[in-house]
Amino acid sequence: MPTLLSIRNMTKRFGGLVAVNNLSLDVEELSIVSLIGPNGAGKTTVFNCITGFYSPEEGSILFQGHPIQGRSPDRVTAQGIARTYQNIRLFANMTAIENILVGQHPLLKTGWLEAILHPPRYHSEEKQALEEALRLLDFVELSKQGDNLASSLAYAAQRKLEIARALASKPKIILLDEPTAGMSPKETADATRFIKRLRDELGITVLLIEHDMHVVMGISENITVLDYGSKIAEGQAKQIQTNPLVIEAYLGRGAASGQDQVKTTRAATSRTKAKPKG
Amino acid sequence: MRTFVSGLRPALIVFAIVLYLNLIGFPLKFGSVAIWVFAAVLFLFSFVVSRRAKGSSPILAITRSLIIGLLPSLGLALLTYVFALMQASQVTVQAVFAQILPPHTAALTGLTGEQVIAGESVLPGLASLVLILTSASVLGGVVSLLPYEKLKTIHSEKTQSLLSTLPLLVPMALFTAYLSLKLPSVQLFGSQENIFGLLLLYIFFGASLFALRAIPQGNAKTSFMIVAMLATLSVPLLNDQFQNSVLGFVVIFIIMGIGLNIVVGFAGLLDLGYVAFFAVGAYSYALLSSPDSWILQNVPGFEGVTFWAGLPIAIVLGLIAGILLGIPVLRLRGDYLAIVTLGFGEIIRLILLNLREYTGGPGGVIGVPPPFIFDVSLGKPRDILFLSLALSAIVTFIAVRLRDSRIGRSWVAMREDEHVAQAMGINLVSTKLLAFAFGAVFASLSGTLYAVRQVNIFPDNFALDVSINVLALIIIGGIGSIEGVVIGAIALIGLPEVLRSVNEYRIVTFAALLVAMMAIRPEGLLPSLRRKRELHAGEQENIPRRKKIAR
Repeated sequence: MPTLLSIRNMTKRFGGLVAVNNLSLDVEELSIVSLIGPNGAGKTTVFNCITGFYSPEEGSILFQGHPIQGRSPDRVTAQGIARTYQNIRLFANMTAIENILVGQHPLLKTGWLEAILHPPRYHSEEKQALEEALRLLDFVELSKQGDNLASSLAYAAQRKLEIARALASKPKIILLDEPTAGMSPKETADATRFIKRLRDELGITVLLIEHDMHVVMGISENITVLDYGSKIAEGQAKQIQTNPLVIEAYLGRGAASGQDQVKTTRAATSRTKAKPKG
Repeated sequence: MRTFVSGLRPALIVFAIVLYLNLIGFPLKFGSVAIWVFAAVLFLFSFVVSRRAKGSSPILAITRSLIIGLLPSLGLALLTYVFALMQASQVTVQAVFAQILPPHTAALTGLTGEQVIAGESVLPGLASLVLILTSASVLGGVVSLLPYEKLKTIHSEKTQSLLSTLPLLVPMALFTAYLSLKLPSVQLFGSQENIFGLLLLYIFFGASLFALRAIPQGNAKTSFMIVAMLATLSVPLLNDQFQNSVLGFVVIFIIMGIGLNIVVGFAGLLDLGYVAFFAVGAYSYALLSSPDSWILQNVPGFEGVTFWAGLPIAIVLGLIAGILLGIPVLRLRGDYLAIVTLGFGEIIRLILLNLREYTGGPGGVIGVPPPFIFDVSLGKPRDILFLSLALSAIVTFIAVRLRDSRIGRSWVAMREDEHVAQAMGINLVSTKLLAFAFGAVFASLSGTLYAVRQVNIFPDNFALDVSINVLALIIIGGIGSIEGVVIGAIALIGLPEVLRSVNEYRIVTFAALLVAMMAIRPEGLLPSLRRKRELHAGEQENIPRRKKIAR
């Protein structure tokens, strides 16, 4: 499989703080890749750099072989990169359907003059857009909630709607930022299956930030571990689980010797937060 | 005891309202009609209070409405009695209450002014005043007890369809009442005839908009729309000059409101200097057409443009001004944007004021010509109203179409969350500029109409208070709602014109109305459906929702 997204030696600084340090990462087409690491490791910063919200100081980001670093977010989205957010950021006061219609923005062509004059093309485009929105709503199993306000949806439904909105721009790759955060075990299992469907049924490459190791180990072909902005490990689930550097990052120095397998859960993550490394 | 207390609070509120209306001189202006106005206020109040406190026993409800009626009317009677005594003994209170004159007392007691001065007893008149007001309130209480809920459970289709036309009948009735005032034989309100006519029209417009929203799509709605439109179009022909002039002013503000609604209501860009574009429109046409202007006097051979040429020029100049303001403020949001636009509005006014040589300075531009169609001047208030109505129809059409399109969605998305909107592929620069441009064009258009209406324009016409007024009217109407703009303009521009007869107090009245409005109905009188859901979401449905977990 060819490489879809490729980050080369990317560094992002905020003042004196190096948020992402010399990171290289390749995402193959039609793969599910996870980005993990303790809190503050720089995972979301990587997402923000890819989607154009931050401009990295060094290095480059290639999407389908073309550099995209430093482009504005709307242009990056138009290229075929969509994302969701760690803390759900739907358009709370728009309905579910309207949220998805906004997601289709880069695919639609209607300008202000056409919006006023309604040439035939306008109607066919709007009709298609609505059909597509309903189809996506159906795909995320929210077909009955189309006219509800996004803010009135249940939590798990909001997560799904956010993904549907991201899918509406027909992306080649979707960046999911902690899609199962705050979900019950059952909802998490549902979400995991759902992420697989994205790849298997829609043919979309997935780059994932996730804290729930069951999800990560269960679906990703490749895992990259970040700590303090640097990549400390990369590989398949098995290799990562036994990598002493990873165990150290999550549990603190010395923990690696006594354990052969990491049972990294959210509890473990928060422990590292409370008790810094070393 | 609890009945007493539950009635006391509304009684005090309604007393304050009646007292206020009394002190600003309602009886003095309208004679004994004022008593019926007070009675109507009491009736409505006691009806509403009684309906709100559902489930109370009939005796309790009637006792409450009795208290609501008795307390204010006794208070009013006592006050009037004191005033009557003072007036009989030549003591004047006019230094404090300018409106309290013998005719005022007389109107409430069924006497004449001379009789009051002569010291004739006002007690019989006051007794009947108390009786009328109290029975109005009790009547309100009784009417509130009628079984309205049962109406909803009637399932017969005929009754249902009959009931659904009810909201349509109210505006019709109002319009008929307005028409009947125009009959030469009808002399209900004496010299105040045209004011009452305007009031009826205002309520007619408001009721029509509410009715259009209340009834579902269908034949009834379509035919009602046609009838209401025809009625509206006949209004300029039926009105007298004063009424047309006031309505013309209202429509000019509607056009401006629709423009600002795009900028603030749809796109969420708080613009406090909106008057700048209004001024650009007015001055562009005025300077290009008035024989008094510097351009006409100093460019040899230039005779000035007609309105039909001036309008597009003004629109283009407004557009340029909109984009010029738009570009520097693209990165600003919220408070910062408000301050910068505020400055922009003042800059334009100060330029107009200080470029004396070219703009006439504080002396303004005199003698702006009206539009002509084949040498027929359209300068009368009636013609200007027609012209404004036509242009406002176009503007409304454009605004509705934009709202419902991809452009409108991107504006709302930007208002909701600018970052995410950008991540959805929305180009913030062009989307913001488009909102500013439409806002500026509409304001410029209404500015041109304003110049025609005023004939002489001065920089003072374009001060900060115009921006504030337009912003207030879209908030009152319901921010983001196009029908709301119409209602807001009627309430904020039209009503004060009508209330000029109680001029001293109209600003106070408005302050009170605004505060009450924002407390009771923060979403505005006719909110956009989206905004209504947003502000009342928690009240209607209680969907269990987990707090978002931010990590």
